[in-house]
Amino acid sequence: MNTEARLQRAKDALAPFTRETFAPETNRLDVVIDAGDLTKATAAMLAADCGYLSAITGLDLGVEAGYMEALYHFCDAAAVTSLRVRLSREGQPEIDSVADQVPVASFYERELSEMLGVTVVGTPDPTHLFLPDDWPDGVFPNRRDFKIEDAAPVERDVPKIPEQGRMGNKFIVPIGPQHPALKEPGHFEFAVDGEIITGARMRLGYVHRGIEKATEQRNWIQNLYLLERICGICSHTHTSAYAMGVEKLAQVEVSPRALAIRELIAGMERIHSHLLWLGVVAHEAGFDTLFMYSWRDRETIMNLLEEITGNRVNYSISVLGGVKQDIGPAESKSIHKAMDYLEERIRYYLDIVSTDAMFLQRTRGIGTMTRDEAILYGALGPTARASGLVRDVRLDSPYGAYKHFPISIVTDERGDLEAKFAVRLKELLVTCFTIRTLVDNLPAGDLTVRFPRKVPAGETVSRVEAPRGEAFYFIKSEGGESPTRIKIRTPSLCNWTSVLNKAVGHQLADMPMMISGMDPCFSCNDRMVTVRRKNGSQTMSWFDLRAYGIEKYKSR
Amino acid sequence: MKIGSMFKDLLTSFFKKPITELYPFERPDVAKRFRGKLYYDPAKCTGCNLCSKDCPSDALEIIILDRAAKKFVARYHMDRCTYCGQCIQSCKFKCMGMSNEDWELAALNKEAFEVVYGRDEDIATLLAKFSGNKTEPAKPE
Repeated sequence: MNTEARLQRAKDALAPFTRETFAPETNRLDVVIDAGDLTKATAAMLAADCGYLSAITGLDLGVEAGYMEALYHFCDAAAVTSLRVRLSREGQPEIDSVADQVPVASFYERELSEMLGVTVVGTPDPTHLFLPDDWPDGVFPNRRDFKIEDAAPVERDVPKIPEQGRMGNKFIVPIGPQHPALKEPGHFEFAVDGEIITGARMRLGYVHRGIEKATEQRNWIQNLYLLERICGICSHTHTSAYAMGVEKLAQVEVSPRALAIRELIAGMERIHSHLLWLGVVAHEAGFDTLFMYSWRDRETIMNLLEEITGNRVNYSISVLGGVKQDIGPAESKSIHKAMDYLEERIRYYLDIVSTDAMFLQRTRGIGTMTRDEAILYGALGPTARASGLVRDVRLDSPYGAYKHFPISIVTDERGDLEAKFAVRLKELLVTCFTIRTLVDNLPAGDLTVRFPRKVPAGETVSRVEAPRGEAFYFIKSEGGESPTRIKIRTPSLCNWTSVLNKAVGHQLADMPMMISGMDPCFSCNDRMVTVRRKNGSQTMSWFDLRAYGIEKYKSR
Repeated sequence: MKIGSMFKDLLTSFFKKPITELYPFERPDVAKRFRGKLYYDPAKCTGCNLCSKDCPSDALEIIILDRAAKKFVARYHMDRCTYCGQCIQSCKFKCMGMSNEDWELAALNKEAFEVVYGRDEDIATLLAKFSGNKTEPAKPE
C-alpha cells in the first residue's frame, strides 16, 4: 500500500468528523475536527488501522488568532495524519482523554495540559510530568504570551517522595531520583508483595531543561547546536531530524554526498549507542567483564567518530544545508579497519549473550512482550522489533540517503530480554555492513549548499530513526530568523509504558535489567534544573546553584 | 549452553598491554580534525559579524574599530565556547580556525578564559577606551 492509499484510508475513516482538510506536505493530511469528536475520531483511526499515535503537539496560534490547537499525529508508514482540534484561548479549554485507547497518550496529555493549559478530561494521571510541582498555576510555557517572570516558584505542599515502608497493604520500594542502579535521574515507586512487583509508578522531569521553549529565542543555526545537546548519545539523530525538517521548509536540496555522510554518522552513532547499552545491561546483570569489554570496543568507534567529525560526542557534523566534514581515502581506510575489528567482536558477544548459561537465566523469559502488547503500548525501535513488530522509520518512510542505501530490518518474535539482545547485536552487524557499503559508494557532490537566514512560513513533520526508536519533530516557521514552535518527542517516552506495564508480576531484582533493557534515555525525555530543597522550592537558578555548591564545599 | 565461554578472552587479555593511556605522562595524539582552541586572524576579517550572530553560546564578539583599515579585535570567551565550529562554517573569508594542538585549556582563574585577538595597538586602544568602565558579566548577588 502506498502513501496516497494510506492517506485516503485515513481520510475515509475520519469523514464523519471532518470539518476541514488540507495537505501541508506530500505525505501529510491535516484534518480539523471538533473537540467533542476527538475520542470517536481516534477510535475510528485505530479501527481502520491508520497507524499509531506518535505525538501530540500543543500549538498556540497567538492572541490575534484567538485560538490554540492540539495536533494528534498518527503515523502510518510514511503517511502522517494529524487531527487538529481547535481550542479557545479564553477560560479553561477542555479536551477528552484518549489514554484509555492509547495508553502512551497519558504522557503526551500530561505534557499538553502542563505546557499549554488544556484540561484533559479523564486522563489517568493529571499531575505534572516535566514541570516541577511548585510551578505556579495558570502559567503555561507553550502559550505565546508566556513571560519567564511569571514562572516564580510558589509555596505549596509538594507531594513527598514516599519513604520506604507500608502504604496500606502495599510495601513501596522507591528507587531514585538518585540511585546507584540508575545512570540518570528518574523516580520509580514499586509496590511489592514479597519479591514480586504488583504495581509501578514513575516521575520524570529531573533533567528537564526547557529546550523546546529555548529554541524560540534562538536563530535557525543556533538551534542546531542546542538540539544536538538534548542527548549525548543520539546527538546526531536530533541534528539530522532538525536539519531535515528545516531544509524541507526552506526548500533547500542537499547534495547526495552530504546525505550519505549523515547516514554514515548515524550508523556509527547506532554502533556506539548499542555497544554502550550492551555494557550497561551486562553491568546491571552483574556481568562486569562483558561491560568492560564492550566499552573498550566502543572506544574504536568513538575514536573513529573523533577522527571524522572532530569530536567524540556532539559531533556537530551536520549544518543546515549539508555537512562540515568529508570522508577522504584516509578516513575510509580507518573505517574499514574499525569495522573488521568490530564485526568480529560483535559476533563474539552475540555468541556469549545467546549461550552463556548464567547470563541466560537473567534474560530468557524476562519481561516478555507480545506483538499485540507492543502495538497497544506504542513501543518503538528495538523494543518493538524484539516483539516482532516491524516499526522503523528507515524502512517505513526512507529519508535522506536511506532511499539509496536501504537497511535490512532485524526482528525477533520472542519479546523477552534475550530477544532485545539478539535484535540490537544483529542490528550492529547490519549497520557495519551498511557503513562499508556507504564508504565504498559515496556519491559525488558538494558538502554544503547555500542556506537562507530566514526560513519561509510553514509547518513540517520530520521523523528519524534514533538508536532507540522513532524521534518525532514538528517544526513551525512564520518566516522569521527563528522558529515559532518546535515539538520534540523522543523514543524513550513511548517505551516507558511498556516497561511499567510489564513490570507487574516480575521480581524486584529483574527491574534494573528490564528498565535498562529498553535503553532509557532520561535526558531525551526531559528537556529546567529541578532540585528539591529545604525551603520547598524545586527550581534553582544558575547563580543559586553555584552559591549552593560553594556553600556545600566550604561546609565540608 | 556453554559455561565459562569467556575464559579464553580473559586469558588473552591477561597478557595484553593495558588499553588505558598514561596521561599526563604521555600526551595522546588527537585527531587532525579535533576542535580545540579557536584562532582568529584580523587581517582576513571583514567585520560582517556572522560568526558571532550564529554562535550558539555567545562566545565570540568582533569589535570593529575601523572597518576600512581592517582594525578588528575579537574577544573570545573560551569558557562559554561549546567547540562546535559553526563560526568557522559561517565565516566566508576563512579568518578562523580551531587548533588540534591547544586542547589542555583548564585554568585556575576565570580571567584566563577570556582571549583577545587582534593587533597589539588595536587592543591597547580598546583597553584605553574601556578602562574605568570595564564591561563585566552580571555577577550573582
